[in-house]
Amino acid sequence: MTVTWDTARMDVRRVVEVPHVAPEDCPPGGTPVEKAPDPDLGTALIPAARYHAPEFAALEWQRMWTKVWLLGGPAADIPAPGDYICTDIGKESVLIVRQADGSVRAFPNLCLHRGNRLRPEGLGNAAEFRCMYHHWTYGLDGAITRLPDLCTFTQGGPDGMALPSLPCAEWNGFLWFSLDPQVEPFADYIAPLQQHLEPYQPQRMAMVRDVTVEWDCNWKASVDAFNETYHVQGIHPQLQWYLDDVNVQIDCYERHNRYLIPFAAISPRVAMPTQIPPAIHEIMVKAGMDPAAYEGSVGDIRLAVQRFKRAHGAAQGKDYSRLNDDQLTDDYHYLIFPNVALNVHADDILMFRQRPHASDPNRMLYDIWVFELVPDGAQWPARPKHRHFRHGDRSIGQVLDQDAFNLPTVQKGLQSDFFPGLWIGEQELRIRHFHKVLDDYLYGPGGKRPGDL
Amino acid sequence: MDLGLQGKRAIIVGGARGIGYCVAEILAREGADVAIGARGEDSVKDAVASLARYGTKIVGKPVNVKRAEDYKAWFAWAIEALGGVDILVPLASAGGGMGSEQYWQNAFDTDVMGPVRAVEAVLPAMSAQGKGSIVLIATTSVLEAMGGPQPYNAMKASLVTWGKQLALHHGREGIRVNVVSPGPIEFEGGNWEMIKGTMEKFYQAQLRQQPQGRLGRPEEVARAIVFLASEAASWCNGSHLVVDGGFTNRTHF
Repeated sequence: MTVTWDTARMDVRRVVEVPHVAPEDCPPGGTPVEKAPDPDLGTALIPAARYHAPEFAALEWQRMWTKVWLLGGPAADIPAPGDYICTDIGKESVLIVRQADGSVRAFPNLCLHRGNRLRPEGLGNAAEFRCMYHHWTYGLDGAITRLPDLCTFTQGGPDGMALPSLPCAEWNGFLWFSLDPQVEPFADYIAPLQQHLEPYQPQRMAMVRDVTVEWDCNWKASVDAFNETYHVQGIHPQLQWYLDDVNVQIDCYERHNRYLIPFAAISPRVAMPTQIPPAIHEIMVKAGMDPAAYEGSVGDIRLAVQRFKRAHGAAQGKDYSRLNDDQLTDDYHYLIFPNVALNVHADDILMFRQRPHASDPNRMLYDIWVFELVPDGAQWPARPKHRHFRHGDRSIGQVLDQDAFNLPTVQKGLQSDFFPGLWIGEQELRIRHFHKVLDDYLYGPGGKRPGDL
Repeated sequence: MDLGLQGKRAIIVGGARGIGYCVAEILAREGADVAIGARGEDSVKDAVASLARYGTKIVGKPVNVKRAEDYKAWFAWAIEALGGVDILVPLASAGGGMGSEQYWQNAFDTDVMGPVRAVEAVLPAMSAQGKGSIVLIATTSVLEAMGGPQPYNAMKASLVTWGKQLALHHGREGIRVNVVSPGPIEFEGGNWEMIKGTMEKFYQAQLRQQPQGRLGRPEEVARAIVFLASEAASWCNGSHLVVDGGFTNRTHF
């Protein structure tokens, strides 16, 4: 664990040395814990226009969204042949379909006749995809199986008599697709996160929450919101008795990045309490501990929880053998470029997919997916129904409500003539890195010139 | 008003922070020698260092109230270090919580047996000198139902009863015993600071119930404790003083 900044000079009350697992004590093939060298990304402003200018959104679409691999959904949503996920990204909609042989294929969700969408967004099972308009019909592999009155089309049927195929991959319990037929292999794109995320074995986790919220902000404002821990002392004061927002390791890789946050810890920004804070109490109870029987100090609970889970996990049907001790408490938080933020934990994954609005850079879709480890022998819970609403219509939980609260006003400020751009600090290095990766897509690697947005 | 604390020897269990530290500080400022005990080695060390500025004799050693033998040995050490004892304030508490049966055990071991063993440890010296003052600490949660059916509330209630019995029983030996029940008190690192940070709405609701619109400060309770502990309170015995800024609705007939 390496922290880049000088914690003693920050607005803290205590300087805390957080114990961390040594690389040699990590399970072989486990998630790497070594600090990646910090990239030198300078201190320039990140221009505000990137968050609202239609021409920038168009550039993003043309050079980034249509060139990258994108998250389609959990693989467990389409276990059987004919099961499909229909998911929208920007102006496009994609069908990801389980084939008879167990593989997956992806197609644009449209009829080649007059362009009608074949299916509304969501999950389903189909023997075939029949357009509601003129009953053009497609097989699970995208081939046209019926084209009524084909003889009346003197030009014949569309090329190949099939929907174009989109690159599609299944990895680590999730389905991925790309709008670019020439996209690099998925394994190259996702690297090096295979070694990071496979040890969590998300296939063992069941989806327990599936929500989409319409937010009035640019999708990058949302990505930024989850890419730094600096905001904890601002908008999540209660989390200071739950996690250490100061002793955070940041790692930037080629296009993805992460930070590691000690959980079940007390922020150095507040005095060490003698009573166990409610949220840490809950961590202990969830692990199977009796907080009343805990004799140590509050500051040592994190290690006690790690030891307890290591000792009792197997008996609880929870196999932690591929995870290191820190992973038994801490939040390993990843950004999979461009738009997937994951808080991965030993017992659950809290995942956000941030999608641009089809036409308005001031709006976005925020998908919340939560997965929980199903202990061996326990019943697999029923999948929750997808819910979709506008920001503010319903609560999405205290912490996420706090995250969401500022975003519409951030988006307003971003559009002001008096706000040239984001003034980013060291604790927000991941934001800078994310924008650098985006720039490399938009302008070519290192190709951004002065004056470019 | 002279509190008559010059040269007195006081033992404070749970004296490293919060109300306990303030009690130790006021006593030291008033000229008393003080021994403090608390769980954390560092916090005891810090408290001793900080109290030394008043120029009286200050000693401290970490102690775990739940370990009966260690705790008794700690008292023997403290009494010897001070060369006797005139004042005892045992404040250490296991705090709140409910659910597991262990909470009852914790509250019994710390909040009940902590003071019981402390009193037993100082009684011989106090009776021998025919003088002594003990202040037990209960809580406003013993006066009105609040915070749910917690072992903490029930166990603290027993101190009110026991304190009165002690006062009657040992009055003849010149030993006074009084009880102080503080309302919610806020200080750095204290429970209410954490509640303010983690349960803002609940905290605000507490403030609305307070006649003065704020929670108490440790020194506001400590001054009352020190008064009862002092010679100035020579005719206070078996009393139960509620120090809560008027927070409880109960009338004290």
